[in-house]
Amino acid sequence: MRIYVESVGVLAPGLPDWPAARAVLSGQPFVAAPLAPPSPAGLPAAERRRSSPTVRLALAAAEQALAGSGIRAADMAMVFASAEASGLITHQLCEVLSRGGKEAREVSPTQFHNSVHNAPSGYYSIAMAATRAASSVCRGPWSFAAGLLAAATQICADAEAMMYVCYDSPLPFPLSAHLPVLESTAIAMVFTAEATPRSMAGWALEITGEDRLAPWPDWMPAAWWANASARGFDALATLAAPGGNARLPLADELALNVTPC
Amino acid sequence: MTVLTHSAPFVAAYTLTSAAGVGKQATARALREGASGLEPNSLDWAELPCWIGRVRAAEEVRLRDEHADFDCRNHRLALLALEQDGFLDAVAAARARHGAGRVGVFIGTSTAGIRSTEIAYGQRDAQGNLPPSFHYATAHNLDATTEFVRRVLGLNGPAMTLSTACSSSAKVFCLAERLMRLGLIDAAVVGGVDSLCLTTLYGFNALQLVSPEACRPFDAARRGLSIGEAAGFALLERGAGELRLAGYGETSDAHHMSTPHPEGDGARRAMQEALDRAELAPQSIDYVNLHGTATPANDRAEARALEALFGPATPVSSTKGVTGHALGAAGITEAAVCLLALEGGFLPGGPTTREVDPELRCNFLLQTRPARVERVMSNSFGFGGSNCALIFARAA
Repeated sequence: MRIYVESVGVLAPGLPDWPAARAVLSGQPFVAAPLAPPSPAGLPAAERRRSSPTVRLALAAAEQALAGSGIRAADMAMVFASAEASGLITHQLCEVLSRGGKEAREVSPTQFHNSVHNAPSGYYSIAMAATRAASSVCRGPWSFAAGLLAAATQICADAEAMMYVCYDSPLPFPLSAHLPVLESTAIAMVFTAEATPRSMAGWALEITGEDRLAPWPDWMPAAWWANASARGFDALATLAAPGGNARLPLADELALNVTPC
Repeated sequence: MTVLTHSAPFVAAYTLTSAAGVGKQATARALREGASGLEPNSLDWAELPCWIGRVRAAEEVRLRDEHADFDCRNHRLALLALEQDGFLDAVAAARARHGAGRVGVFIGTSTAGIRSTEIAYGQRDAQGNLPPSFHYATAHNLDATTEFVRRVLGLNGPAMTLSTACSSSAKVFCLAERLMRLGLIDAAVVGGVDSLCLTTLYGFNALQLVSPEACRPFDAARRGLSIGEAAGFALLERGAGELRLAGYGETSDAHHMSTPHPEGDGARRAMQEALDRAELAPQSIDYVNLHGTATPANDRAEARALEALFGPATPVSSTKGVTGHALGAAGITEAAVCLLALEGGFLPGGPTTREVDPELRCNFLLQTRPARVERVMSNSFGFGGSNCALIFARAA
């Protein structure tokens, strides 16, 4: 499979956008800094208040990629991927639901519709009037590669332009003891089926056997190692420093190879 | 958009377990007889006055020792379903033919094992820790069910979970078709599993969408949905087979998180895309299995989309009065209903619907009737405005 990278958006502590990430991926030192709470411009104020932090993170990253592309949001299909898109909401719902007795189980309707895994893609499609196909992928720690595979197959099978977003946001205690996402990270990419004047690179993607877990990059804070989306920085490194390729874990024994072409 | 006519995969095997029955034979009998699997809610952990679709047989299922960490209501239901209709043997044969790495696994779910998290929250210790018996990765995370199915079936091709609320296990067919068409895999197990939990029962109740009686899709007096649990799977392969996935369409409403576009705009576009991919005119569809949840707004929007595309004559029904609304498993549940209709030569009725809402101008079948069935459509629409329509056809 071959796809073309049109644009990139990045949000992580110390990496507020793609130029900042590109610098680090090119070898400049990483400097940790708190990430300002993302506030996507495309989300009306009322929706912004109703949405979860995960939704705002995913949308703000997507808006960066959208701004760098020459394609309208309405002309793209969408794949959103996350290992756990609703950790905070699940925690809040389970706290209420575990009280027992129907009077105590007063669930907020907004919280319930925010609890679905596809809430970020739902809010995005509403904000951008994007009416094409949208899929929401989960593959645990391998969610970045799985989402990229879902996106790439749709791009290649149907010659679609694609908005791909992968994100993790912190889980509250006690869920944090079981999936220790400590900081927010998100990567958004616009892909096309054919090269455009804005294309940054072509990527050849191939599924291969994998018998070892790739090490995390030296520059990356250990606090991000529970974030499935952080695996995407290996793929972005091929855009920042030409010549390399990336092996993104897709399962215990599978990888998605990314080779610039 | 690419036409599928010459590359359409076929359904080599399939199975369904829901409140309507365990396995295909029991499901087909319920559909033919117009028997509802819904019952008044008597769950001792969810005192909500409503009707539910409960698979009691799944509650006593025991997982193999090596899968102990996967134990939860969702995976007991998944295992019960996998063991029906010779499905394990069919997958084993496909694995032998193509190699375990050439068979993908794509499962749709909306809540996976969240029931075990609800239970664990009730068992927190004084410091608020979840009990040691709680296994997040294998019994709560959305992907746990996909990984469980993959292990039970001994498959190691590419796998992933799609979770787009109530369209989840319809969209897995589209995903699998694309991977097969590109030659990344030779076969795929697709399916969906969702089980009863407090989150969906009280969540839909908070939205005032849960009916106090058995749901009555498209009825003038419909009062909301009845939540059910279900697990179903299909084995897709390339080549010549009797039952083909002839087309599909996927769209977004871009309208509201939990309310459909009032004219069913996204639903209509999904159905149109499915027809276009299958190179079929609306008139060539013999039956549409509706999403038909029985909430006032959902049914109205779907009826408007249907009327705009099909006119009033095409036979349609919602079988959610038979199975309940299986949410993330609704897509596979109704895909299986459509495949049973194609194989068995009948058009399923909606037995809990008494009087069709005259505002919904369509040919809604109250009773199941025999018919020669060649091409059927199944609709699945979910929160976030996620729409999917599938077309299944008998080989020409």
